[in-house]
Amino acid sequence: MSTSPTSVLALLLAGPLQAWGAASRFSRRTTESAPTKSGVIGLLAAAAGIARDDDAALAVLAALRFGVRIDQPGTRIRDFHKAMHPVTGKTMPLTERFYLADAVFVAAVEGDHALLERLDAALRSPVYPPFLGRRSCPPATRVDLGLHRDAVLEDVLRTVAWQASPWYRRRHHHPETGQLTVLREKQPGEDTPADTLCDQPLSYSPAQRRHALRSVVTDRVRPPRESAHHDPFDAFSEDDDL
Amino acid sequence: MNRFFLDLHALQTVPPSNLNRDDTGAPKTAVYGGTPRARVSSQAWKRAIRTYFRDQHLLDESELGVRTKKIVELLADRIHGLDTSLAGAEALRIADQTVQATGLKTEVPKRKADQAKDGEPEPAPEAKYLVFLSARQLDGLARLAVEGAGDIAGFFRDKKNKARAKEIADSRHSVDIALFGRMVADVADIGVDAAVQVAHAISVHRAETEADYFTAVDDENRDEETGAGMIGTVDFNSATLYRYAALGIHQLSANLGQGLREDEPRTEPVRRAVEAFVHSFISSLPTGKINTFGHHTLPDAVIVTLRTSRPVSFVSAFEDPVRSESSGHVREACERLAAYVPDIERAYGEGDAAPTWVLRVGPNTQKLAGLGTEADSLGALVTAVGQAVADRLDKPA
Repeated sequence: MSTSPTSVLALLLAGPLQAWGAASRFSRRTTESAPTKSGVIGLLAAAAGIARDDDAALAVLAALRFGVRIDQPGTRIRDFHKAMHPVTGKTMPLTERFYLADAVFVAAVEGDHALLERLDAALRSPVYPPFLGRRSCPPATRVDLGLHRDAVLEDVLRTVAWQASPWYRRRHHHPETGQLTVLREKQPGEDTPADTLCDQPLSYSPAQRRHALRSVVTDRVRPPRESAHHDPFDAFSEDDDL
Repeated sequence: MNRFFLDLHALQTVPPSNLNRDDTGAPKTAVYGGTPRARVSSQAWKRAIRTYFRDQHLLDESELGVRTKKIVELLADRIHGLDTSLAGAEALRIADQTVQATGLKTEVPKRKADQAKDGEPEPAPEAKYLVFLSARQLDGLARLAVEGAGDIAGFFRDKKNKARAKEIADSRHSVDIALFGRMVADVADIGVDAAVQVAHAISVHRAETEADYFTAVDDENRDEETGAGMIGTVDFNSATLYRYAALGIHQLSANLGQGLREDEPRTEPVRRAVEAFVHSFISSLPTGKINTFGHHTLPDAVIVTLRTSRPVSFVSAFEDPVRSESSGHVREACERLAAYVPDIERAYGEGDAAPTWVLRVGPNTQKLAGLGTEADSLGALVTAVGQAVADRLDKPA
């Protein structure tokens, strides 16, 4: 177990639509209810310009410890998708794609400071632009949410302000009583009950995309509300008649 | 290489319509900012964009591609075109060997193989996946096939010839493959990652789906009690849509390669592709139920920005839905953007360093005038953007 200080890079994943598949095959493309490690590492790798078949470069990123906080869970929508053959005009197999609409997440990766510094810079000037799990889902905001030096993943996910949208905060008037779900990887040596998810990326090569199982610990945290946020017009919200 | 992105934004109003429907026949929707919105999927609009630039001949036919499993038949036709002595089963056999030399797997579909048992001619093998090839790639493969036609199997046992086949399949990608990508699941080296990212279009305001109940009269019914020939409902909604796409110019440039002709600048293929994309993004329209609703509209406002950092969607400006119920949504949507864009550009963007163009129609869009250089026509906008991209590409890295 390493004792050298690690840093944490936080990401804000928000947009009208997101889709984080971990077990999608064939014509039914599902989404998990939170970003997958594969999806987020893929976003970082794309920003850094790592080629799809560069498994060695991917391994460095995939070794980062990963966690995600569900700030605004969103709703699942089902998209029915029909493709037509451009030459024969025949209908291709119908597919179902699931999306998370209106969701907001804070994801974080923990590891070597210099590496995270490079990734943070890459997010601000990406080679391949970020998308939220599916290419048709561009982020609605900046993705980089700050690099925390000498920090621990759990602490960052507990202390970053609640990122839910203003309308969502207004409707959930008492967030202090509520807690947010954090899905994170175990600490080295930690002995906590965990689920497994097959989203540890090994290769993004189109010829042989491979993932391994990964342990996921579920925590509940109570992050601070964003103190700077004060909108006097909140009191006159028209939300109630929507 | 120089990294840069072209961001395209459009506000477009569609009257009652059903551009893109789900399996129940209702227009697609999403929830954003906690309110239901009209949605048009990115796939539907990408298809409209592709169809538009083909139909409008924005690019030369030889610059475009086809997406098909029937690659063997297509190639056999071209082989026959080059050498009329090669025809029928012989041309198919040569074409099949050539396709396989590129690394693609082909097979005779089982269903068709069964049909053929009853004395019908042997059906053509097909690729196992949809393959996206440009006209130029097909022409190149056809020439190679004719060259080796005498002993096609022996020809491709030569590693050099096999490498030539792979090289043809991996270069001179058509513009639509370069833009929208290609997935060939079993041949990694001829896969192309899309240079363009198209977001689902969503309404800037709350939008509910409505149902139109209709009856149709039977004109030939002479009965006294005429009644209706048929009844039914059509679902529809009307919306002011925010549309967004980001185009990675450096990716497009890598996908397309440099100019193939001596007599044109090396940036010419990229400039032509960018112009075709910008033109098609603005002018194209998904045609779902267009004969029922006639939703032939064009955007009220278009904003195009050339950036060296990261693409920026302005969709957050509409997370809080536009509420102007009586005077339409365009004016307030433009006011939102006019306030939001300078704000986000100052916080995260490149400020004045990012060239921006605005194309807009009517007094409702007045507020957008200050966001960039105003273009007075689509043609002027397309030319200005294409020229700016070519100039940037010519700059040393």
